[in-house]
Amino acid sequence: MTTIDPETRIPDPIELDEAEEARLRAAAGLGPIPREGGEYAGFESVGIPDRPPQTDRERDVYTLNEGEMLINLGPQHPSTHGVMRLVVKVRGEVIVDIDPVLGYLHRGIEKLCENATYTTVLTYVDPMDYLSSMHNEHAPAIAFEKLYGIKAPPRAEYIRALVVELNRVFSHGLMMGFLALDMGGLTPILYSFINRDEVVDMLSAISGQRMLFNFFRLGGVNWDTNDEFLSRLGTWRSHVLDNVLMNERMITENEIFTTRTKGMGVLTGDEAISLGVTGPNLRASGVPFDIRKAHPYSIYNELEFDIITQESGDSYARYLQRIAEIKQSIHLIDQIIDKMPHGPVQAQVPGIIRPKPGRAYGAVESPRGLYSVYAISDGGPNPYRFRMRDPSFISLQALPKIMPGRLLADTMAVMASFDPVMGGVDK
Amino acid sequence: MEHVRRPRPTADALGRRCPLSAPAAAGSLVRLVTERLGSDLEHLWTDEDTVEFQVEAARAVDVLTTLRDDPDFDFFMLADEAAVDYGVGSHLEVVYHLFSWKHPAWLRVRARVDRADPRIGTVTHLWEGAMFHEREAYDMMGIVFEGNRDLRRIYMSPDYRSFPLRKDFILPDDAADSPAAGVNPLERPETWDLARFRDAPAVAVPAIGERGGPPPALESGETEADTSRPR
Repeated sequence: MTTIDPETRIPDPIELDEAEEARLRAAAGLGPIPREGGEYAGFESVGIPDRPPQTDRERDVYTLNEGEMLINLGPQHPSTHGVMRLVVKVRGEVIVDIDPVLGYLHRGIEKLCENATYTTVLTYVDPMDYLSSMHNEHAPAIAFEKLYGIKAPPRAEYIRALVVELNRVFSHGLMMGFLALDMGGLTPILYSFINRDEVVDMLSAISGQRMLFNFFRLGGVNWDTNDEFLSRLGTWRSHVLDNVLMNERMITENEIFTTRTKGMGVLTGDEAISLGVTGPNLRASGVPFDIRKAHPYSIYNELEFDIITQESGDSYARYLQRIAEIKQSIHLIDQIIDKMPHGPVQAQVPGIIRPKPGRAYGAVESPRGLYSVYAISDGGPNPYRFRMRDPSFISLQALPKIMPGRLLADTMAVMASFDPVMGGVDK
Repeated sequence: MEHVRRPRPTADALGRRCPLSAPAAAGSLVRLVTERLGSDLEHLWTDEDTVEFQVEAARAVDVLTTLRDDPDFDFFMLADEAAVDYGVGSHLEVVYHLFSWKHPAWLRVRARVDRADPRIGTVTHLWEGAMFHEREAYDMMGIVFEGNRDLRRIYMSPDYRSFPLRKDFILPDDAADSPAAGVNPLERPETWDLARFRDAPAVAVPAIGERGGPPPALESGETEADTSRPR
């Protein structure tokens, strides 16, 4: 090993003090230190993955032109509705491109379900989209009942529709609150949670759980209605419309709210269909597609309701659509209570079922859109394949489509209007 | 206690023997499908609300284009695009579920792909929303959708090597340590066919224009299989 005499050692340019370097350059008549890229020199590569891009699209997103930079939103950003990362390419404050990075909440529920019996699958799907647990259970219940060739008794179907609509009411109510919260309004979310707690207490009275209900069974539901549930339902029904109205008065006409939602994130009907956006977001773009009408399941062909649509397809329309659907759900709940027959709530089903080999597809209209399950049986006690299509996962693709050209600050406001739930996005 | 002893529904109440929910219209769909796609159809099958058939993987995109663009079909919505693994020694399958206003039944199109070299055309030019479906199918099953501009992993990290939803990916579960009866056979280590899993052919990563180079060489002793799994 050779040693370098400190006296003869040539100083490394990196070790040079900046003032010292400037003094030396001035003495040599070289002028000031040249700076490339101006004030933000050295920041160009921050955020770019340290590996070659795997696809054309990835290369496009992570190749920066003059004046562009990457901003990382999340995964622990409070407005990402869970754990999600958005890599946003901006020019100044204007968005150029968005690359959603998912998987922070991936639990492999499909694999777990393929290793569970048909009955226990219904417990695994609850934490998928945790704001609509009842819908999460409904689709596998429909698919498995088709596979097994059994039907739930009428009263069970009515109770299913009842709890599912209740779930829709509080999910949409929370969306109103979160949307306002992402624009800086703190009050509505507090009222939304008060309203949600009323419904959740009610559902906890009938199912025994507050959040992950585990209420659906193959061929029926776990419990019949009880006194506490019905009395809470009556109390809630007496003032729910007032509560909705109050939330509406707080948000709908608010000037900041309307300025930040009207004309924001406009999605046309054709784009929405192509992107696979479903549910209230699709109907807000003027497409009257609702699985409850398009392909009726449970008892929805016995109920009277129309498909509500909005025209403009912007964030404001998506918000108005949620309010209209809350009122519609309350109307449906009234009908369900009126028509609910007496009888058993559970068909006779063995503990471990082994359906004949076959395939079945069950789809429901969840608060976020088309939630479907494709189940394959090979005759064993576990589903051979259990596939879930989560609406918020697919709707998220609209974000890179509609956000370019908008301001960075509007990303979260537009995303909240799509109401994604990361538990569902990441499975 | 009447409901406890409720008898099993009779055979005609069983789902798969029920008539189609709107028999005439679904029958017309079956007729239409047979008429227009006759040469591509295999295994036409219906249950209470689904019409299903198989196509060859090479013909899948053409058939789906017809189904979307033909005004008599008008299957404007891709409800789902799933991937299914039928196990080592068998094949993979891509399953499309379509919806149309004109037909009351779901249409299910199944396309077989080879397990050793799972390739099929992309449908992202028909439905942009198929992008995440296909990325998920690539991530979980290793199916390569040719023509997809953004086929990279979506849930797992980019350097991950296995395909978790394949049937030869075995769950390392605490239950595997338990000798008790009732443990799922998949979770018992003695049933793991590790040799076969280790020797399974790797899926070729699709080339990316000019930038695509050969995949990084494996270090000695490393295999394509997931090394995080206990051996």
